[in-house]
Amino acid sequence: MFKKFLLALVAVAFMASVAQAKTITFAADATWPPMEMVDAHKNIVGFCPELVAAMAKAGGFTAEIKNTAWDGIFAGLASGKYDAIASSVSITDERKVAMDFSDPYFEVKQGVVVREGSGITDAAGLKGKTIGAQIGTTGYFAAKKIAGADPKSYDEVGLAITDLNNGRLDAVICDDAVAADYALTNPNYAKSLSLGFLITPDSPEYLGFAVEKGDTETVEILNKALAAVKASGEYDKIFAKWFGK
Amino acid sequence: MISKKKVTIEVGDGAAIPRKKDRGIVDAWWLSFIGAIVVISYLCLAKPEPYLRILKFVFGEIKSTPWETLLSLWDSGVGVTFRVTILSIMVALVLGLITGLGRLSRNRLINLIASTYVEVVRGIPLLVQLFYLYFALGHVFRNLPSLEEAQVLFAAWPGFVTYLLSHGCDELKNMSPLVSAVSAMGICYGAYMGEVFRAGIESIDKGQTEASRSLGFTRAQTMFMVILPQAWRTILPPVGNEFIALLKDSSLVSILAVADILRRGREFASESFYYFEAYTMVALVYLVITLVLSKAVGSMEQRLNFYDRD
Repeated sequence: MFKKFLLALVAVAFMASVAQAKTITFAADATWPPMEMVDAHKNIVGFCPELVAAMAKAGGFTAEIKNTAWDGIFAGLASGKYDAIASSVSITDERKVAMDFSDPYFEVKQGVVVREGSGITDAAGLKGKTIGAQIGTTGYFAAKKIAGADPKSYDEVGLAITDLNNGRLDAVICDDAVAADYALTNPNYAKSLSLGFLITPDSPEYLGFAVEKGDTETVEILNKALAAVKASGEYDKIFAKWFGK
Repeated sequence: MISKKKVTIEVGDGAAIPRKKDRGIVDAWWLSFIGAIVVISYLCLAKPEPYLRILKFVFGEIKSTPWETLLSLWDSGVGVTFRVTILSIMVALVLGLITGLGRLSRNRLINLIASTYVEVVRGIPLLVQLFYLYFALGHVFRNLPSLEEAQVLFAAWPGFVTYLLSHGCDELKNMSPLVSAVSAMGICYGAYMGEVFRAGIESIDKGQTEASRSLGFTRAQTMFMVILPQAWRTILPPVGNEFIALLKDSSLVSILAVADILRRGREFASESFYYFEAYTMVALVYLVITLVLSKAVGSMEQRLNFYDRD
């Protein structure tokens, strides 16, 4: 009897604590180093998860990050499987039609990774070449825009990088931070791959947290928390930890 | 007196092959076929945006000249799916014949090699095999010498060996995704095909071998001139089945960035966010293709069973 009572008490206490702090579930495709990735202990780490944790602290909500495959991440948002996407989603006009975005939290350019010594230094050098990118990313859209090139879509950017390294591709396009991580710091690829060039965009490309269309409540919480983290200097600390400078 | 009753149990992921005997399946076939066609046409006519656009994205566009239209179909998702399937089944048939004969061989070593191949391949999921052959072996092949290096390396060997080795190295080093996908699918299905060949050959009465050997045929002659021609009748229908199963499994090659029907559908969905619509169309296209093929295999089976109708 006593045990049952205790259990009930624990259950009530647990439910009460949940009710107090709002839980926001984020989806992240943790295959995008150093923005979000899985470490050796299966934890989701990177710039974005740390930013989300800091925002949760500042904004007074509980953040839960779910590792979700990129292809279908937007479909999951639309069907309410999670509240937001924290997965380096670039804010584009096409996406704005289907979902809402928080304020931007990062600026990216598209970086072109090539094999060391390939001599590709501009878009003209990619003519007639095979370019890989992750499916449905702005990198893939950029690859499609390059005249005379053959774009190929991959499930993960890591697979595209492997194929580039194995000689089946001539270039891979992805966010500059990710491109730099693979081409410059990754011990497996730093010697064989290099950063060819950065594509200059027509208008700056920003990353934002995506939420379901019309979910103004979550957008508000996220914007407030993001502003607080930026104001307190926490943002710069996290930025310095992952990108130096 | 125990009456012998022939029971056939078919388990597999092949499509249900319609037979004349069971009216139910024939009706089910027509129902699904007409249903699929009606749904596709309705969706494309009533909501051309996005359905017709998806269909065009998967099938290719109708161009001004028939030649360009054909070229567009060849490069489209459907074209790539058929290319992968047909090439894979050809690889699988060759491997299957060798494996099937190997499994029946009296040579212990050959038998062991063939059986091990079947065991290993059947024990690994196809998706894992595809990843393995494509990414893991791709990594190994990358370190092979290039064409010029190999020509120098094998210069001491006789001319044609040098040619074979250096070009072989070059081919492996620069293996295209389509070739990798086809060899992975072919190697996997070759093992299954080997079992089909073995069962087909074993189904031929032993008396045939005995008669043929008594007439002075060698073992090889017996196999290729007496047994195999008769075994084809048993082997072909399951091969047709495997072909359909392979066509469906070929959707797995979309992970290797081979632009087949599924990959095209996913590319469409990931850009336009029409997930439901794109996958509906992809499913219907696959359904129509497998239904047509299963009907073809069914009628082929009917013709081959001409002599033993019951």
